[in-house]
Amino acid sequence: MLIVEDDDRIRLSLQLALEDEGYQVRSVPSAEQGLQRQQDQPSDTVLVDLMLPGMDGFDCIRGLRRLGDAAIVVVSAREDTHDIVAALEAGADDYLVKPVQVKELSARLRALRRRSHPSGAALTVQTFGSLEIRQDAGEVRVSGEPVALTRTEFRLLCALADQAGRVLSRSQLLEQVWNYDYGDERLVDVHMGRLRRKIEVDPAAPVHLLTIRGLGYKMA
Amino acid sequence: MRLGLRARAGVVFAAGALVVSASLATATYELTRQSLLAERERTATRAAYFDAAVVRQGLATDTADIVDVLRTLDTGQGRRPLIFKNDRWFARTADTGITAAVPRSLRTVVARGLPGVQRVRLNGTPTLVVGVPLRGTSADYFELTTQTELERTLRQLGLTLAVVAIATTVAGAALGVWASRRIMRPIVSIADTARTIAAGDLTRRLDPDRDPDLAPLTASFNEMVDELAGRIDRDRRFAADVSHELRSPLQTLTAASAVLANRRDQFDVRSAAATDLVVAEVDRFNTLVTDLLALARGDRPVDLQPLEVSPLVRAACHVNQVGPDRVHVDGALIWPLDARRFEQVLSNLLENAQRHGGGATAVTCGVVDESLRLVVDDSGPGVPVEERGMIFDRFGRGRRASARGGGSAHDGTGLGLALVAQHVADHGGSVAVLDAPGGGARFVVTLPRSTP
Repeated sequence: MLIVEDDDRIRLSLQLALEDEGYQVRSVPSAEQGLQRQQDQPSDTVLVDLMLPGMDGFDCIRGLRRLGDAAIVVVSAREDTHDIVAALEAGADDYLVKPVQVKELSARLRALRRRSHPSGAALTVQTFGSLEIRQDAGEVRVSGEPVALTRTEFRLLCALADQAGRVLSRSQLLEQVWNYDYGDERLVDVHMGRLRRKIEVDPAAPVHLLTIRGLGYKMA
Repeated sequence: MRLGLRARAGVVFAAGALVVSASLATATYELTRQSLLAERERTATRAAYFDAAVVRQGLATDTADIVDVLRTLDTGQGRRPLIFKNDRWFARTADTGITAAVPRSLRTVVARGLPGVQRVRLNGTPTLVVGVPLRGTSADYFELTTQTELERTLRQLGLTLAVVAIATTVAGAALGVWASRRIMRPIVSIADTARTIAAGDLTRRLDPDRDPDLAPLTASFNEMVDELAGRIDRDRRFAADVSHELRSPLQTLTAASAVLANRRDQFDVRSAAATDLVVAEVDRFNTLVTDLLALARGDRPVDLQPLEVSPLVRAACHVNQVGPDRVHVDGALIWPLDARRFEQVLSNLLENAQRHGGGATAVTCGVVDESLRLVVDDSGPGVPVEERGMIFDRFGRGRRASARGGGSAHDGTGLGLALVAQHVADHGGSVAVLDAPGGGARFVVTLPRSTP
């Protein structure tokens, strides 16, 4: 795992605490070094602070997203809605506000690192119009063209596809995809927006990922 | 009730218009009447003198019949001649019965040899009586001239003037209302702007070029808003800085104390005890700072979304180890709520029950009287009546809680219920503490259906 955090004390304490939790941790004090390190030795999980010297956390997240589908978790002192939404829009999988309890952080990371789907899934293709999902292969095609989804987006899509036609509430999705008992429902909304932009022909008028006002989302 | 500015201006303008138009009308009426009356009187007098001269000639002969003489007069409709001779009245047959209309005072004056004029009413008709002594005869001549036409003219005039006066008054009132509305218009727009600003749009300002007369007001209003916006901005930045400056070291402490806690068993007794203290206090400090920052953020508007209440309540109860058998919530219930604030209300009430009441014994949520009602019961000692208002204050812990506190690891921050009260108030609702049926405390949160 990689920690991108400019505060030396936070960086060191998080590294110590997460190593105690059994992670192999490397840490860097800037976004530039973080991207460099991720390119040289990719980690499957990256913790990113938003306020960084030079390149900021949002650009760092976008850069990391381009490098691969590592799970990106923001750990920031900023708690404004627009920061949270911007970070998730940039490609972060989860957002936690400092101070974060190490046990909770660890639980979040475990949820994100979990393989995309239980390995017992049958080798089937789920088809919704021009949308094809091959869960075992981790593959999604729209009109035959493969679409690149992050792991979280893929898990969200699978959670909805497995119960197609049923309405899943935001809290159910938080639990199934992020393993939250309860948490920030903006996570679901922002990821749903990103997912729509990738698989819907017209993201403003979705045909597969439907919002059911007051209840949640439904796959059709 | 006080009248509004517009109504008052209307009344004042109307009263002014009434005074002016009424005095003008009265003056006009009086002048016209005087001049008409004088003119009629002159005419009547002249005619009477002429007739009197004719009568005198007619009476010059001793044999003359008085009534015949009267009959020779060409008096037309309006004039009626009378002769008073030797205490007897003489009149044309058509004019009998009108002699009583001649006042005694006039008769006395004429009897003394002086002519006179007097106004009387004859059968309700204004009438001019002219008396002329007939020199050389022992008779007095009187002529009654009815003035029906004059009366009608004056009535017409009076009516016209009254109508004009009333119309002027109404026009005055309308002018007053219109003028005050014109004057009020910029004030109304200032009020609108103030309301928009109060609703959170700090970029709104008044147009300074709109009215030169209002420039000082507009300028000071805009200055005030600039000042306020600046202050709010500074406060916000300060709060953000404080938030960052508090959260960063807390993150280090939290992570470092977790590392210490992991190694507690390897420490000697004294170090282990110290570690326990550090870990517990860091934990409490964490909650305290988070709660304080949440309270400081309370000025932000609520983000209401229609939400399923049941999963929220159940999840919060699950996290706070309240068994599902103690949770009673309508499964289909959807209510407009700010999810995060409602979750905090729930978890703070449940933590409070845990800390002071041995855990929640029942959590009930449903709609009562068009409002969402959340009830959390515990089996603790309850809250004494005199402390019920205080426990929702910041750091307003009840006496029992503070007495027991003394730094125990389970001591709260004193902010949990204050946050509950603030979040509930932000939803336009209320929170109260009562006695639970089985003893203990019952917290009742009532949230009206506010529109998102």
